[in-house]
Amino acid sequence: VTAQPSKKHIGVLGGGPWGVALAFAAARAGAEVTMHTRRTPPHNDHIGITTDYAEIAKASLIVVAVPSTVVRDVLRSLGDHLDGHHLVVHGIRGLSTDSLETVSDVLRSETPVRRCGALGGPVQATELVHGRPSAMIVGSRFPEVLAAVTDAFQSSSLRVSGTHDIRGLEWASALVGCVAIGVGYAEQAGAGPGLLAALISGAVDECARLLVMAGAEERTMLGLGGYGDLLASIALAHRPEVVIGKALARGLSLDDACAEAKLRVEAISLIPRVIAFAKEHRVKAPTFDILAEILKGARPETLIPRLFA
Amino acid sequence: MTQAPIFGFNQHREEIVREVVQRVVAGQKDVLHVLNDAAYHETKRLESARRPDEVKEREEWRALARQLGRMGEGERRRRLTELTERYAWDVAGNFNPRVHAVSKRILPSLVTALLEPTMFLKNPSRMLDLDVLKSHVTLEGPIEKLRGLVENGTAVFVPTHLSNFDSIVFGYALEAAGLPPATYGAGKNLFTNPILSFFMHNLGAYRVDRRLRHNLYKDILKTYSCVLLENGYHSLFFPGGTRSRSGGIERRLKLGLVGSAVEAYARTLLAGKERRIYFVPATINYVITLEAETLIADYLSEAGKGRYIIEDDESSRFERLFAFTRKLFDMKGGVIVRFGEPIDPFGNAVDDAGQSHDARGRPVDPASYVKNRSGEVTLDSVRDAQYTRELGEAICRAYARDTVAMSTHVVASVCFDRLRQISPAPDLFTVLRQRDVLTLSRDDLAAAVCVLRDKMKEMEDAGQIRLSEHVRTASGGDIVERAIRAFAGYHTTRAIESRPDGIAVCDPNLLFYYQNRLAAHGLAWDQIAPPGMLPAVPVQLRPPPPTSGPVSRPESAVSTERSAA
Repeated sequence: VTAQPSKKHIGVLGGGPWGVALAFAAARAGAEVTMHTRRTPPHNDHIGITTDYAEIAKASLIVVAVPSTVVRDVLRSLGDHLDGHHLVVHGIRGLSTDSLETVSDVLRSETPVRRCGALGGPVQATELVHGRPSAMIVGSRFPEVLAAVTDAFQSSSLRVSGTHDIRGLEWASALVGCVAIGVGYAEQAGAGPGLLAALISGAVDECARLLVMAGAEERTMLGLGGYGDLLASIALAHRPEVVIGKALARGLSLDDACAEAKLRVEAISLIPRVIAFAKEHRVKAPTFDILAEILKGARPETLIPRLFA
Repeated sequence: MTQAPIFGFNQHREEIVREVVQRVVAGQKDVLHVLNDAAYHETKRLESARRPDEVKEREEWRALARQLGRMGEGERRRRLTELTERYAWDVAGNFNPRVHAVSKRILPSLVTALLEPTMFLKNPSRMLDLDVLKSHVTLEGPIEKLRGLVENGTAVFVPTHLSNFDSIVFGYALEAAGLPPATYGAGKNLFTNPILSFFMHNLGAYRVDRRLRHNLYKDILKTYSCVLLENGYHSLFFPGGTRSRSGGIERRLKLGLVGSAVEAYARTLLAGKERRIYFVPATINYVITLEAETLIADYLSEAGKGRYIIEDDESSRFERLFAFTRKLFDMKGGVIVRFGEPIDPFGNAVDDAGQSHDARGRPVDPASYVKNRSGEVTLDSVRDAQYTRELGEAICRAYARDTVAMSTHVVASVCFDRLRQISPAPDLFTVLRQRDVLTLSRDDLAAAVCVLRDKMKEMEDAGQIRLSEHVRTASGGDIVERAIRAFAGYHTTRAIESRPDGIAVCDPNLLFYYQNRLAAHGLAWDQIAPPGMLPAVPVQLRPPPPTSGPVSRPESAVSTERSAA
């Protein structure tokens, strides 16, 4: 059997913490990695750095991990170098706030790529960098994408599972980002484990209905990419959404809360958009209504009665 | 123009059938399972058969099922090959260039004879003139471009499907557009339809027996259409599977046979003789539909949901077809065939030279989609099924863009909306019971039609739908008049009727059928979204301008007369 050099060559776009973490995880699993970034990430013998999209296009599996604000521009530039044989997956949480397009929708409209996928699940950047055991989920309608991602990332410390419901996974990731604000808020406001669990279960149920309205599968929300991802936020005091939630519960204004989180949080603009979507499709979204109140500075004591109304 | 491959079909038929049989038989890994599956489905289908030939067939299947367990592998393979050969020959169509030439001349004269029998007697030579159909069937779309593409590639025409009349109209449209004839899989029941079989036979149709549900038969059909595409036979599929029962445009497709296109293309690459495949979505739009009454009744009857084959609808009754064609051709522009922009099997746009372009207009090599990570062309049915699914979505989007809205659709949408407003309960079946209880004032109806039309014009400018010339330019009143004229005289009941006190809304079922054409666009009440798909979000209409006198709420212009129960 001849060696297939392209088989394990992976391109990673984005030199932020998440891009670096994914590059490290792939390198750990034995891949040769080329990263596209203008920053200087931590050194790794198996990771090459480039600022040329053509170099990335030499890899047949490309992982996109840039901020959602620039994803369209990045994909448009990358698209000049791609063709139909490339497999492209992204690890970007969020939906476009104007049309609720998923990142894979953007990928299809900005590049010739069809065989695409999305990454999700509870795994954290720090876990990937340090090789601590965790779990990730990949969504794609193409089994070869699931196989390629598993092949690229699965190692003794990372379990990769797959779902064909890519749309569901993308929606679940985005909605979990919104709900995580509520988790931080509730924790800071002193919600006990029972109340927190009730809030999370209710939110998951609501998100699952929204997924169905979005043309995805309910159960995707109930799995690793939805419930699993959300549960992790309980323990993640530094997750930007959780930080914002906690800051809001302390009575900070939204701007101050965002400043505290340092990172731009997509979920803030997404929440009103999800409420409009729910209204359009005539489904109830009480959790999102309350999240909108939280963003406007509502106090916990006024929200509790509404929860049980 | 080079001759389309179909003109050499009879010489190749044996080769093609042999290739199909060879491929199907070689592709079966578990022969015992395949034969068992076929025997099971066939025995079940023939369970209550009475006809002697069917009884005999059933007994043969039962005998086969009994013997299978004891048979050696060699014997099983032999039986499989026999069966496959029998089915493949049954499927294989016939194309007779002589008959094709004759029928394409007979077709318009037959239609003319149906339409204007007196003129036929006066001047028979006029009958051989294709202009007769030309003035009644309007062709739209990038026809010049398509003519260029079929020279070097294989075209797969995928029109919407409303009526058994479609294959005649579309066959004519291809002819009139200067496009080559296409081979297509027509339901076997159509070959027994006394009127339509004339057109089916020898025009390149192959036979699809929808009663056969077992996997071997499906495999044979798929392989057959794949081999035809590989050999450059232009093909025609109605990817909706059956005629739209609701009258709505297809929003979900049955892509079984269409799915063979990616494989066919990959096989031409593997054989070193690439032949590109171009999908051409098309809409066939009628101001009235031949089988509207039967189809909507079938749609509405719970029991009818599983009925795929209707043997005795309007299309098999001569006098109904006669009345229909007369009505249809009486209305100028009553039929519009609109060809859409061609796309490759991966949903990319195709330019005049046959080159694919991605959504941002970059040229892309379609071969790259069937290559694996090492750059080799591979056959992969799971991958291809995903491409096909996405292609189906692209075709459905094209259907929406290329739907041509006509007066009957627009007027039905407005009338049905008014029925909803007066219905005592909001569910579909209550609304459908509001028969002959509502009369609308002419001005009110015309104004509401105008509001809807203006919104549709905006959508047309945005490329979301098309309007017929008449709907685009006529006044609201004229659109209503034209719809009344179209509804009168063919259908056994009137959908709406002009009365001294206004326009009476008579038959909700028919109105439902015609308004459904606009449901997917959100321009009519969407009660027909396929299972698992959300109804279209209704478009927001501005309220109609006040007609005259004091400003009144639109409802007040509606006069309702409830008949005593």
